[in-house]
Amino acid sequence: MTRSTHALEVRDISKTYTTVRAVERLSFEVHKGEIFGLLGPNGAGKTTSIRMILDIIKPDAGQISVLGGTMTEATKSRIGYLPEERGLYEDMTLLDTLLFLGQLKDLTRQTARARAETYLHEVELWDARDLKIKALSRGMNQKAQFVAATMHEPDLIIVDEPFSGLDPVNTRIIKNLLYRMCDRGAAIMMSTHQMHQVEEMCQRILLIDHGSRVLYGPLDEIRWQFASNAVEVDLRGELDQVPGVERLVSRNGGYRLLLQDGVQPEQLLKTLVNMPEITVERFERVETSLDEIFVRVVGRKVTNEEGTA
Amino acid sequence: MRKIWLIATTTYRRRIRSGTFLFLTFGLPVLMVIAGAIPFIRAWGGDLPAVGYVDQTGRLAPVTQVPIEDATLTLSAYADTGAAQTAFQRGEIAGYLVIPDDYFQGQPAAFYAEEEPGGKLEEALTAFMRRAMLPDEPAWTLDRLANPSEVTYVARDSGEEIAEGPAVAVRFATPLVLALVFAIAVLTGASQMGSAIVREKDQRSMEMIITSLAPRELVAGKVLGMTLLSLTQLGVWAVGGGIAIGLALSSAVDVQTLSIPWETPMWALLLGVPGYFLYAVLASGLGVMAGDSQQAQQLAGILGLLGLAPLWFMGLLINALNGPLAVGLTMFPLTGPMIGLVRMALVEVPTWQLITSLAILVASLIGSIWLVARIFRAAMLMYGQALRPQQLLQALLEA
Repeated sequence: MTRSTHALEVRDISKTYTTVRAVERLSFEVHKGEIFGLLGPNGAGKTTSIRMILDIIKPDAGQISVLGGTMTEATKSRIGYLPEERGLYEDMTLLDTLLFLGQLKDLTRQTARARAETYLHEVELWDARDLKIKALSRGMNQKAQFVAATMHEPDLIIVDEPFSGLDPVNTRIIKNLLYRMCDRGAAIMMSTHQMHQVEEMCQRILLIDHGSRVLYGPLDEIRWQFASNAVEVDLRGELDQVPGVERLVSRNGGYRLLLQDGVQPEQLLKTLVNMPEITVERFERVETSLDEIFVRVVGRKVTNEEGTA
Repeated sequence: MRKIWLIATTTYRRRIRSGTFLFLTFGLPVLMVIAGAIPFIRAWGGDLPAVGYVDQTGRLAPVTQVPIEDATLTLSAYADTGAAQTAFQRGEIAGYLVIPDDYFQGQPAAFYAEEEPGGKLEEALTAFMRRAMLPDEPAWTLDRLANPSEVTYVARDSGEEIAEGPAVAVRFATPLVLALVFAIAVLTGASQMGSAIVREKDQRSMEMIITSLAPRELVAGKVLGMTLLSLTQLGVWAVGGGIAIGLALSSAVDVQTLSIPWETPMWALLLGVPGYFLYAVLASGLGVMAGDSQQAQQLAGILGLLGLAPLWFMGLLINALNGPLAVGLTMFPLTGPMIGLVRMALVEVPTWQLITSLAILVASLIGSIWLVARIFRAAMLMYGQALRPQQLLQALLEA
């Protein structure tokens, strides 16, 4: 018998609020030891999906397997969750807050204290341990929440916008902690709008829109899939409109051209070479950024909907 | 259970440190003790001062020493008020009593002094008058005259005896006081649950906490923590009130003669504790449904009014304390504890009624915890929004 490599398996889950279909037949998996990106525009159904995974709300249909089974009270102690709606008890000190939340995750008081000390040193908040939460700055608060969500060293970590409000130094601290937890074997599901962070950190992604899966799989494959649609060219002359090009952006003395669906770079090269008013000096296929993929996929849907409305 | 206790103790520790709580909890008993101590201090007052008297009736026997309990009053007789006033002005006496010539026709005596005499001096002056009017009577006659109609009331069925005076008052007042304590506990403690839950929602901490434990554990922990807080407050008030009442009574009543039948506190506990929890759980449910603290307070106010329902019907109840309305309100879980205790003060309440009331109360409590946990799951993440009726219905059907 082989042990499942999935920390999380979601099968065909759906959720409707009164008349709004928030999530529709959504399926995906998160593997142990990977950082998985959950992406989507605002209102796409990401938070609803997370809340269903965490058993905060019940799906109308579908199955969710967390850490090898259905969610139980014991499973909750193996999950770390940093919600988008953040908040800690403002009248408690930082250390007391961590002791309280650590014990809620089944740590003993002694272990919770030891872990709090270790993590607070790591995120450079040890000196603030006796400050009340309301006295912490936004960035400090953000780091405190992160420690609270992960100090029990869970097997599945779900973080929603973990870097919001953090400067580059603190972002690096949190990122390193996430890498270390991943190396330890924890599965990390990260929901964020910061695409460069996803590109840097995630092995696989799920992009949802209007509650449905739009893109899903290894990030490299998705980028390769979208890569052929963009080229960079340096040329003499001016470009205005080019047949087969969906979007044209001038940059660094050259152009980045986003091709229409079905148009191959070779075809574009022929078109450009045959244009008498320009001379092509450099022609290069570029890897499309996740940001562009996001805008293309989600933006296209929005455009389509606007067109049919 | 460990997580329930953790939520309870954390709630308790956070709230007990708040300035408002500390002021309310300790400020009130300090005021009560000060108020209760005033007559005690005045009565205690140490040795009795020397006083004078002027007998204008000419019919009182000369008395210069009056022993009472642990002190003796020394008196000097003066021929007229002028002589007494001179002695008073010289500081030889602390005051003087003038017994007018028509005293035996019903006129009162007058005591002149810088300030009102304390209870102890008043008692000594009364003893002086008895001795001066009846110089030849033995001491026991005078003692009897001090308390001429002492009666012990005996219950024919049980044979139980109650001495008259404060003992009777204490016996009948105890259930009423306990009913009042219950009402205060509900209004100050249980009804605050709603606001506590709204504050929790306002701080956006719910989502993180609820992924660590079941909603029912969070509700139970919050209710338990707030109850411990309320008990602490009531305990401090009870100690303060007890000291105040003790001080106030100690100069006038022999506390050892007071007794309370055991059934009263037993039923107060049996009905009061689940009754309190029922209010706390329902108030927390209203807090979950409310959009903000103000709305939670308003909803809790309506709940509090239900709790005080016995007062609305008091006119009807008082004439038929074993009638259908009284029995019905005893069975209704929100009014049962209070109406049960009020009836116990005034009539013999059949035990089967109290047992039935308790059973209904406990069943209602279990049902309300189940109900509130369901609502909780649906509404806890609706920051700043009230739960709409159709959402409430969906939550109850779904969970």
